[in-house]
Amino acid sequence: MHEMSIAMNIINIACKEAEKDGASSISKIELDVGRLSGIMIDSLQFCYDAVCKGTLAENSLLEINELPAMACCKKCEHTFEIDAFMALCPECDSYEIDILQGRELKLRAVSVN
Amino acid sequence: MCDTCGCGADSTTFRKHGEDHHHHGDGHHHTHDHHTHDHSNDRTIAVEQDILGENNLLAQRNRGYFEAKNIFAINLVSSPGSGKTTLLEKTLTALKNDIPSAVIEGDQQTMNDADRIATTGVPVLQINTGNGCHLDAEMIHTAYGELKLQDNSTLFIENVGNLVCPALFDLGEDKRIVVISVTEGDDKPLKYPTMFDAADICIINKIDLLPYVQFDVEKCKEYALRVNHHLKFFEVSATTGEGMETWYAWLKDQSQK
Repeated sequence: MHEMSIAMNIINIACKEAEKDGASSISKIELDVGRLSGIMIDSLQFCYDAVCKGTLAENSLLEINELPAMACCKKCEHTFEIDAFMALCPECDSYEIDILQGRELKLRAVSVN
Repeated sequence: MCDTCGCGADSTTFRKHGEDHHHHGDGHHHTHDHHTHDHSNDRTIAVEQDILGENNLLAQRNRGYFEAKNIFAINLVSSPGSGKTTLLEKTLTALKNDIPSAVIEGDQQTMNDADRIATTGVPVLQINTGNGCHLDAEMIHTAYGELKLQDNSTLFIENVGNLVCPALFDLGEDKRIVVISVTEGDDKPLKYPTMFDAADICIINKIDLLPYVQFDVEKCKEYALRVNHHLKFFEVSATTGEGMETWYAWLKDQSQK
């Protein structure tokens, strides 16, 4: 349930930004979440709904943009999309890959009024 | 509720071995305000911030502190029951004359692990996370402030037994070590890849039990390497001492860097 800590961080960052802007409430929070970020989206949504109560973000929408994960094969340098840490290079059948993207966990934007 | 100060049992507490009292972390504060929403005048603020940015920043501060004092910090992670505490007890007993050490213990509840470590004579601080499933950089910052770490020492951090959540939280350690015991499945690296991906070292513990369990060491290593080809392995039995010399030699070498 690290999603609870993550949800608290999201609300914290978003509320700080909204306060700096002088906003009275937050209507939407947009995230970029990589496929390999280690986050369960359903669980994050559940925690988010609990954590945003009583904050500027109460009743706000959580919009999650799931980013694909990409890897580069160490042996043949082929770049390909993966959906897990363990992935076989489709060109040379090697498991030795470097993950290029997919670990992202970013708060992209906050909509306020 | 805690009997000492009436705090909620889900808050994080820090206690040294032998101390009756504890204190609390600052926790995370929010601004609480009630509003009614009107979406007609919505505007968007571009934020572009890492959600774990605050933890990562604090972890970097811890790392800077460790570097300045030449402290070698390791973060031990595993499922509950893999033998992290026994591994630490044996390691500290064997190396206490060679490497000055300190220990931060993380568990949801109890002083049990800190009490076990304290019998080795090494300074130890117990963090009880309450309902928390992992240690974070802020807790480590508070803990080493209490422990008053020596220069040129090694800090062992035993994370909460959990093979999922601690993977995401950098504590500022030099090396993250995942411990797996042979009484677990040899496919654990495939089932919990995030943790194996985030580790530098993998210790396979309880190898004295190999004759009695269905655990294929080579298969486990192969699976772990498929997830993270940078992993280095130690195969040990903390109970019998088998393989421990290689682990000690590595620790001595790392702590002298």
